Amino acid sequence: MIDTAPNGRTAPVLTLENLTKRFRGKIALDGVSFSVPEASLTVILGHAGAGKTTTLRLIAGLDRPDAGRVLLAGRDVAGWEPKDRDIAMIFDNLALYPNKTGFENIASPLLIRKTPRPEIAEKVQAMAKVLKIGHTLGRLPATMSGGERQRIALGRALIRTPSLFLLDEPLSSLDAKLRIELRAELRRLQSEHGYSFLMATPDFNEALAIADTVIMLRQGRVVQIAPPQALYDQPVDRETARAVGAPLINILPARLDPDGKGIHVSEWRLPVPGHLHAALASSPDGFELGIRPENLGLVDIPGADLTGRVSDIEPLGLKSVLTVKKGEAEVRVLVESVAAKTVAVGREIGLRVKHPSMLHAFAAASGRRLTA
Amino acid sequence: MLSKKLTLFQAALLAAALAVVLFPVFWILMTAIKPPTDWNASPAIWMPSQPTLVNFKTLFDPDALKEYGVGGVSQSATKAVIGSLLASITATTLSVLIGLFAAIGISRYGAENKSTPLVILSGRMFPPAAIAVPFVIIFSNIGLTDSYVGLIAIYVAATLPFSTWMLKSFVDDLPREIEEAAMIDGKSRIKAHLTVTIPLIRGGLFATTMFIFILNWSEFMFALVLSYSNVSTIPVQLAKYVTATAGTLYGVQAALAVLAMVPLVIVGYLIQGHLARGMTFGAIKQ
Repeated sequence: MIDTAPNGRTAPVLTLENLTKRFRGKIALDGVSFSVPEASLTVILGHAGAGKTTTLRLIAGLDRPDAGRVLLAGRDVAGWEPKDRDIAMIFDNLALYPNKTGFENIASPLLIRKTPRPEIAEKVQAMAKVLKIGHTLGRLPATMSGGERQRIALGRALIRTPSLFLLDEPLSSLDAKLRIELRAELRRLQSEHGYSFLMATPDFNEALAIADTVIMLRQGRVVQIAPPQALYDQPVDRETARAVGAPLINILPARLDPDGKGIHVSEWRLPVPGHLHAALASSPDGFELGIRPENLGLVDIPGADLTGRVSDIEPLGLKSVLTVKKGEAEVRVLVESVAAKTVAVGREIGLRVKHPSMLHAFAAASGRRLTA
Repeated sequence: MLSKKLTLFQAALLAAALAVVLFPVFWILMTAIKPPTDWNASPAIWMPSQPTLVNFKTLFDPDALKEYGVGGVSQSATKAVIGSLLASITATTLSVLIGLFAAIGISRYGAENKSTPLVILSGRMFPPAAIAVPFVIIFSNIGLTDSYVGLIAIYVAATLPFSTWMLKSFVDDLPREIEEAAMIDGKSRIKAHLTVTIPLIRGGLFATTMFIFILNWSEFMFALVLSYSNVSTIPVQLAKYVTATAGTLYGVQAALAVLAMVPLVIVGYLIQGHLARGMTFGAIKQ
């Protein structure tokens, strides 16, 4: 059932218009608007308390918005019961039926919708095969491992083909290896069947890895909607730049030289990056410079952009994080572990900005990204 | 279900505590089968040498004690037993049902505000005797004194705070996402509550029912002040075995008390398997 929007194009699976929700007077969602195109994987990224779960609950019809509209396939669904919204949802705490076996849990949406028994058995077996949980079908959730429960919850959602899947941190209870394995599987299922997924996660790695579009949610507001790489390369503000990427981006107070030819960054001086020239010239009060740790590289001291003493080396396996200090200022630098072996704590080293065009500038007060 | 072996001291302590608690029960059981001469004998007779069922017989046949020369037992207890069963079962069912809907409303749909606990519990903040008087006046004006409808209405009103509050705590303990999953899977709200929420708080529902039943079953004062001839309950009947000619009929009282214990013992036995917590283990991420 696909409605046609007035302009003649197919309406998105989901559109939120100015969704607002308060809990006991405290604002949880503040005018959230976005849409989810059909057959896409959209991720809501945000810290705990940003409003991710609230957003999904309003879409599902479990809570009622104080203002704004939820449109599913172009239809306003205000007042519709969850069962009539043609959605499936995975809760962040899974919410399996504790008194039902794995089979009954997965089969439940079909049983409720009166699917013929042989068809149910067939579908559940097929689903169990995809999710590799055939051995848990006869067991109660209490006897399952975290990963098995997670897969049962996935199975219960995926057994139907609703027009929209809502996934609330569906991988959070898994260990790292399983999480990466299962997220690839989710992506494969989604693209193979052309499902529409809206997934919430606090994990930027997960968001960047599988999303078509990332919606950055902070304190109940949408701050940025962008494809993963654009979110990383052009974060809309300082907080978003911090939220996306590890090790943390270096944020340093900076000021344009009076002659306009260089910038003072803490203890250092850098040439003005071409793409920022106009923007910086119009912020005479100073700004903050964002340098991603991987955008710095080790070089000999003569000819280096920055110099300083290594104060810490944190090995991460393939790569290592160096902390380099000069006076009060410090920067984190991500280098190959092989290269990290050539330096030692206390040594003075030189650093170079690898891609000046990838430097970020943020307004000091508002934290907004400065662009030309 | 004790997995730990008790030390001798612990066992002795437990035995002593049990003796204190169980002694009155023992004494009631023994008195119930004592002939009239042994009821109030001095020195006390612990176990009757000639146990008899005449006290039980007297409950339903007031003339049965004549052979012991005791008369003046005017009324059969049949009406009181039926009255107690009727009032307690009906009032308990209503109280728990209404309390259940209220509990779900408060716990799940925010049907409460800061003053809700106060409002609900305020009826319990006064001694029952204080609210009995207005009830008597109101009920006599609307013709509800000496009727089961009136008695049941009072019992429901008096126990509703407890049933609501107890059930609310059980609903609160159940993660709401479990019933919400059922709503998303295709059940209406009301059906999700009936088929998911309520079965999963079964243990709490049984416990609450039993608690409310005991309150109603043992209630004395309201039944006394609201009953004249149509209505009677076991606690009221117990007080009637004080005769002008033969003094207090201890044996008959004991017999009725023993009968009154029977439903509680049965309910208590049935309930113990349902009292276990942790029904939802495995449903949600720990």
